[in-house]
Amino acid sequence: MTAAALSNKFKSLGLEITLVESDQIGTVGVGEATLPHIRFFNQALGIDEPTFMKSTEATFKLGIEFCDWGQRGDHYIHPFGDYGLPLDDLDFHQFWLKLQKAGQARRLSDYSYPIVAAENGRFQIPGDDPNKIGSNFGYAYQFDSSLYARFLRSYSEDKGVRRLEGRVVDVDLDSESGDVNSVKLEDGSRVTADLFVDCSGFRGVLIEQALETGYDDWSQWLPCNRAIAVPCESRGELLPFTRATARTAGWQWRIPLQHRTGNGHVYWNEFISDDEAAHQLMSSLEGPALAEPKQLFFKTGRRKKFWNRNVVSIGLSAGFLEPLESTSIHLIQEGITSLIELFPSQTINPLDIAEYNDRMALNFERVRDFLLLHYVATQRDDSEMWRYFQAMELPASLQEKIAAWSSRGYVLKYEFGVFLPPSWIAVMLGQNLLPTDHDPRIDKYPLADVKRRLDEIDQETRRAVEATPTQAEFLRRYGAASASAPILANGM
Amino acid sequence: MPEPTNTPTRSIIVCGSGLAASLTALSLARGLDETCGIIQVRGAAVPQEDVLYGNATDPASYNFLRRLGLDEPTLLLKSAASFSYGCHFRKWLSSHSWLQCHHAPFKTISGIPLFHHVTRASAALQPLLVSAQAALAGRFAHPPSDPGNALSQAEYGYQTDPCELTRLVDAQLANTHVRRLDADIRSIEAEGSRLTAIQLDTGETVTASLFIDASGPSRRAINSVGGRFNAERTIGAAKTTRATDQLGPPCREIETNALGWTSKAFLQNGEHVLHVGPADTAENPDAHFTVELGHLTNAWVGNCVAIGHAASVVEPLTPAPMIMLQRDIERLLELIPVLDDMTVEQKEFNRRFREDTAHITMFHDALLSGSDAPASSYWRDALSKPHNEKLERKITQFTNRGILTRYDLEPFNDEDWTIAHMGMGRVPSQYDRQVDRISKDETERNLTHMSETIKQLIPKMPPHHIYVAKLKQYLEKKNHV
Repeated sequence: MTAAALSNKFKSLGLEITLVESDQIGTVGVGEATLPHIRFFNQALGIDEPTFMKSTEATFKLGIEFCDWGQRGDHYIHPFGDYGLPLDDLDFHQFWLKLQKAGQARRLSDYSYPIVAAENGRFQIPGDDPNKIGSNFGYAYQFDSSLYARFLRSYSEDKGVRRLEGRVVDVDLDSESGDVNSVKLEDGSRVTADLFVDCSGFRGVLIEQALETGYDDWSQWLPCNRAIAVPCESRGELLPFTRATARTAGWQWRIPLQHRTGNGHVYWNEFISDDEAAHQLMSSLEGPALAEPKQLFFKTGRRKKFWNRNVVSIGLSAGFLEPLESTSIHLIQEGITSLIELFPSQTINPLDIAEYNDRMALNFERVRDFLLLHYVATQRDDSEMWRYFQAMELPASLQEKIAAWSSRGYVLKYEFGVFLPPSWIAVMLGQNLLPTDHDPRIDKYPLADVKRRLDEIDQETRRAVEATPTQAEFLRRYGAASASAPILANGM
Repeated sequence: MPEPTNTPTRSIIVCGSGLAASLTALSLARGLDETCGIIQVRGAAVPQEDVLYGNATDPASYNFLRRLGLDEPTLLLKSAASFSYGCHFRKWLSSHSWLQCHHAPFKTISGIPLFHHVTRASAALQPLLVSAQAALAGRFAHPPSDPGNALSQAEYGYQTDPCELTRLVDAQLANTHVRRLDADIRSIEAEGSRLTAIQLDTGETVTASLFIDASGPSRRAINSVGGRFNAERTIGAAKTTRATDQLGPPCREIETNALGWTSKAFLQNGEHVLHVGPADTAENPDAHFTVELGHLTNAWVGNCVAIGHAASVVEPLTPAPMIMLQRDIERLLELIPVLDDMTVEQKEFNRRFREDTAHITMFHDALLSGSDAPASSYWRDALSKPHNEKLERKITQFTNRGILTRYDLEPFNDEDWTIAHMGMGRVPSQYDRQVDRISKDETERNLTHMSETIKQLIPKMPPHHIYVAKLKQYLEKKNHV
């Protein structure tokens, strides 16, 4: 992604970009589900959506379904979009809270077009009219990240990126400045550059192994430290959402692509063995496994400096937050966007480094709080892991958010960060964190009026969803259906 | 200290008689149902410091006032308000003059922000800003929605008189359930950090669960519960009004003088002139009053919330005082307590208040620098404050390479900052290298086309006074008010 974006931006400026990668090193492959921001990344690169989807076996994604998180048996979808429509500049969910308190509300999800569409396996591109319920949402993709990497590699090479096949075996540091001068490849050749972008994954070949930048360990808050991933054959309808199901010592993902379904089990090895975790995953696959399960080890947290000297870490070398909300690729994208804006001109300016590090630190911290919310806004105490979270002392930033929500359904305001109020509302209400009260301004609206308005929105949502094609139908019509996809071929 | 009980907020007392108090009372009346009792305790006198709300509002005031029943026709027909594209800083602490205009997000050229092209071409930004050029030419028209029309990039606020605005708000208040008491406060009773009652000079005692201190710089209520004001410096100010034959341009004018600075606003009833200078009356014979600039550490203490000048006082160099007042009120409405225990609301209100205060102060601090400041006590004080780290980063990043550093929920946006930086002569020493993807000739052609389009558009716009007169005729014909 970095090579593609940099080559697109700087291709005609005489900037030489070398991509050093080895086919022997596989990708982690846990970042197959994305957030809506990925569309802007692709658009900036001039990538045609149907072509990209066909090439990467992509499906559309309207949100994430969380199962068994609040209590066993619960499920809700965190949608990419607002609930309902604002009334008189007041938040929709406040009206819902009033109606709910009076025992007259439907599920909050019933007032969300992306949720109802997702539950019915339907999809269409949002409309242009912001006042219509079928326009007020975003969407992302679920794709094969290895195919996406290949797609972008070819894109980069077309833009003039020089690709070198090989592993980095040594790093030469400048004895005076401490900067990276060059990297040595297996074949003995050396690659020199002014700026190095470390996308080497967990190992952090340059940022950590060479520069010893240090790592902020967030295991105390996000203690899951292992994952097992395996693809399987798809069964049933092609659903436009990712599923995350809570387990006794972690959670399991399900990501439906056109040609297969991606599965994985993220867990904390303190409370479950690798064998048991693998067994839980394999016994719950919807179809036959298509490969051997792959074991992954990680430590949640972030690099102390994302940009250190003349090395910028992007992706897993920058940090790792479990993929519960599909943030891995998004954080890559944030890193690339900031790097492009702050790209060095003649020399590397310490102020640019500070700016970059501050921006990325804020991004990581706000994502961390949001992920942790899923584990602590719960009534579950049926295993050691859930009891650990029940007893946890939360970061002050999250504690304040939960307190403000619990008392009056208020979401603390900020401008920067990927998860805005609708996301917080989805998870907190989805996991039964019901505020004790609502915004007092709602009380000037008679209950009957509120009910009538919400009923109208519910009906409008249903009508809009009924007029929406199934995802499979839309993919075919849109020219995005892959020839290798059995579900689409069968017309399901 | 009494233990908070878990009962909803059912009564609110607003202390004060000026703009902040009336706007707050009206906003509460509009926002809450009638079961919440609202009392406004109006002292005999409107605080004279109200003139420091200034004579300008920003574009956000359109919706803010409209929600209170004060729509644009009402403002134009029932007060002397006029339009404002911004503020003309004339030879501001240097040889630089510029129009600090309200503008929609700048268009990009080939996906790259406008000012990088401007930097590369060593061009001026101002000729590319339609609202700046229209204001300088004394012309006004409402921005059309058609994005193909250059004027659609303009945004506007109003030139107003805070006293007149208070009168309009008071008229609206008469039709609400707010109980208005014309009385002075004799004493305020508090237990710990909670106010319990206010005794009035009429002999009446009023109580409430939430108290709003909108009494201006006297801060009588918030002081009773330990509100701490951080004073930065003291200024003297005076306001005069001069009748004119004809409405002036749709912008304020502001310039430095030996004592301090003077602003002129052009309203339908004449020029409103505000002199700001040193507090020392011997040095500043024009000063009608003095006031400490600064802000409370926390604007919400116990069950008392300070709004407007009771919470913070900033110089009206920009529409900042009105922006801050609007934000104070909006923040309050979003956080009307649901229970007697207001800890959650207090914490969030104070967090946002501190951020807003810091960001507004930062913008003003950025304006208070220049090489040609007069050697007077006012300017010595005004320019002696060191820039904080956030502002230092904003200025350095911009001058280094045209990066606009942003913080959460700033009241002044990227366009405001760019216009101010470039107006003050802060030019980036480098531009975004991506600009080099297009030829210099093309850059120049693009910029020339933009400025020529604006140049041709401006003469077609009516002069401000004619536009306002015709609009009023039209509205009157329609019996709008």
